[in-house]
Amino acid sequence: VQEKEELIEEWQPEPLVPPVPKDHPALNYNIVSGPPTHIITVNGKKCINFASFNFLGLLDNKKVKSAAQASLKKYGVGTCGPRGFYGTFDVHLELEERLAKFMRTEEAIIYSYGFATIASAIPAYSKRGDIVFVDEASCFAIQKGLQASRSNIKLFKHNDMADLERLLKEQETEDQKNPRKARVTRRFIVVEGLYMNTGDICPLPELIKLKYKYKVRIFLEESLSFGVLGEHGRGITEHFGINIDDIDLISANMENSLASIGGFCCGRSFIIDHQRLSGQGYCFSASLPPLLAAAAIEALNIMEDNPDIFQILRHKCERIHKSLQG
Amino acid sequence: MANPSAVCNGHLHHHHQKQNNLLKSGIYKKNGITKGMKKNGISNGTLYKKTFIEHFEQAPMYVAVLTFLGFGVGTVFGYLRDFMRAWGLEKRNVATEREQQKDFVPLYQDFENFYTRNLYMRIRDNWNRPICSVPGPQFDLMERVTDDYNWTFRFTGRTIKNVINMGSYNYLGFAETDVNALKTVTIELEKYGTGICSTRQEMGTLDKHVELEQLVAKFLGVEDAMVFGMGFATNSMNIPALVGKGCLILSDELNHTSLVLGARLSGATIRIFKHNNMQSLENLLRDAIIYGQPRSRRAWRKILILVEGIYSMEGSIVHLPEIVSLKKKYKAYLYLDEAHSIGAVGATGRGVVEYFGMSPDDVDVLMGTFTKSFGAAGGYIAGKKDLVDFLRTHSHSAVYATSMCPPVAEQIIRAMKCLMGLDGTTQGLQRVRQLGKNTRYFRRRLHEMGFIIYGNDDSPVVPLLLYMPGKIGAFARRMLEKNIGVVVVGFPATPITESRARFCVSAAHTREMLDTVLNALDELGDFLHLKYSRYSKSSHPELYEETRLED
Repeated sequence: VQEKEELIEEWQPEPLVPPVPKDHPALNYNIVSGPPTHIITVNGKKCINFASFNFLGLLDNKKVKSAAQASLKKYGVGTCGPRGFYGTFDVHLELEERLAKFMRTEEAIIYSYGFATIASAIPAYSKRGDIVFVDEASCFAIQKGLQASRSNIKLFKHNDMADLERLLKEQETEDQKNPRKARVTRRFIVVEGLYMNTGDICPLPELIKLKYKYKVRIFLEESLSFGVLGEHGRGITEHFGINIDDIDLISANMENSLASIGGFCCGRSFIIDHQRLSGQGYCFSASLPPLLAAAAIEALNIMEDNPDIFQILRHKCERIHKSLQG
Repeated sequence: MANPSAVCNGHLHHHHQKQNNLLKSGIYKKNGITKGMKKNGISNGTLYKKTFIEHFEQAPMYVAVLTFLGFGVGTVFGYLRDFMRAWGLEKRNVATEREQQKDFVPLYQDFENFYTRNLYMRIRDNWNRPICSVPGPQFDLMERVTDDYNWTFRFTGRTIKNVINMGSYNYLGFAETDVNALKTVTIELEKYGTGICSTRQEMGTLDKHVELEQLVAKFLGVEDAMVFGMGFATNSMNIPALVGKGCLILSDELNHTSLVLGARLSGATIRIFKHNNMQSLENLLRDAIIYGQPRSRRAWRKILILVEGIYSMEGSIVHLPEIVSLKKKYKAYLYLDEAHSIGAVGATGRGVVEYFGMSPDDVDVLMGTFTKSFGAAGGYIAGKKDLVDFLRTHSHSAVYATSMCPPVAEQIIRAMKCLMGLDGTTQGLQRVRQLGKNTRYFRRRLHEMGFIIYGNDDSPVVPLLLYMPGKIGAFARRMLEKNIGVVVVGFPATPITESRARFCVSAAHTREMLDTVLNALDELGDFLHLKYSRYSKSSHPELYEETRLED
């Protein structure tokens, strides 16, 4: 017993946090005063903003702001509860319907934080023992979702369909050794529409072919491509002209083009309804403040009424790319 | 039967624990109604500066038997229905897989959804009820009917007006639409717009965030604070930044999902101690330090204790003085999640740290959310400057997730200023006092009526035990008929035999509203036979009131 007391006395833990050098860039952050729109005031200086994801310029749109003001007068700011316990407002239901109609899917589900959307959607379907094929350059939220799901992860080289096919073939030979297990192991491919880390688009038509050949489901993360690609802004499926039902789950966040906060997943009811009980960021967290939902609805209205803003955005992107490439 | 208000060492103790814990679950269950006095080595009588009364009464045995019987019947009928559905004798109401994908591996195993399909679906109309007004002390519900036994819902277009709200987390009543109160929020919304479109380390730090963080630090009495856009994400993204492989996390049995997710994502070893059981925690601490890591026997790099201020399903308050003394003795770190307790307990609303009269320096990491008491959204972490600086650089949320939106930040600022009295009125303090009065009145009356209530006498979260699965649906529906909205929870959020209704008292509730609810509960309790408590009404009701005149 004396020995045990001595051990307890002697043990010294590490300090809770290691010291951080004082000149770390994140500690001397830039403070933005005023709205982070196209002309942004950083540290007191007026600059042109090439850093925010304000793709459609809806951040300081008058109509969006007045919709948010009306909702503020009616509902206050917070929802004071998760969706299951009186936190479901009629604006949430309306936004879900509008998103499902816009993306031409059966159902949509809304999360209150963009990061939590894909990070809760993946572990709801893929559990320990399932296999997920994911691109190497996938964003951090996807990586966290995969880590939380505890599934087997197989990385394939960025946008390299041959590498993915090789992995799928290897998996097929594995399956033949153990057909009983193969019958219950679910398989998924997780890709992004527009990759945050590299800026490329994924080759979706080839992925669809691989999907039906090897019987894997596709989860598409469209945070950057929603409202950017496609003739009407419906994302990469419209860009390539693919039937939306071929994709099992589309997840996007509303923090980029829709200039709001939060995220949504859309797809067939068979798939989306499951998240209402098993999506952790949905069941155990307060719902989206109604003023943000109203702002998102108004932004959707603007997107539907003015389909030419996507053309304007595309022209500007092409121009910048051409000028920078010389 | 021992006198319920027996006094020992000058402290009223209704709750105690046996020295040798023969019990399986962490919740104290005693066979019968015997009581004893605390006998363990830690003289907690001197650590607590005020009386600490908790109740976790166990129901009589026949209740447990009937509960299991109820679930058994439900399961049998579930199997019957599945059989009938598989053979086409009954219509399938669930959505099904696409024709083209029928030969893919099935997405859901049949048995995983057994509970959802057969038991949850029958009483599904008690959850996800949509409202169409501000979630204040009263709200308007949208009327929903179902034609096919809860498989689909249809809105009739009518609203049920002025339903008393006992379900939303509106502890201080800041969920309001008063034009004067929201004046600054309106101005900020006009100025900044709704979104940010950027992360904290890029262009996402607004001057509003800096103002908010300084205010939070001042409110809590610590050196620095950092705010995040979502409370759930605060836990799941910052615990991995603080601990990693080779560290040990000691987490309470009944911790919230966000804490569990954060602990799992961090990669540290997790050990669970029984709910609020200091003996169990001390045993774990001693074993950890003496025996080290499981296979290599090396010493642990750090030990982090994860607890919550108020547990939302139990209504119990953490035994903070004992935990702090344990932490100091064994050199561990303490992470306190005050999601429900910030603003709701304490003389001026500063949370459990103030409630126990301790200094905020005792807790290493103070975490909380703004969703409950402040009527907004988001979370914060506060503590020493080194800690917050480290989080600014290394937290996943700072690098990858968007920051809080400006109108929401303004709402928190104005609510906090009101609480601290910086806006020139005493309204904040009045709200905290009103919440305390409402809580104590509500709990006292429920005890007198004979219901089994869990938790501490000062916590505004009041779980009322229902036990049997049939009563869950009946209770919620009948309360709605009386124009009162309640929240009921069953398995899997609670243990299978302890389904409950959970009330959240708010400072905005008036005495009349509480009386309406209490009368309705009285009637319903007699009708549904919910009054399981075997303690007789205390014959000295004024004894409770007098000891609570001071904070």
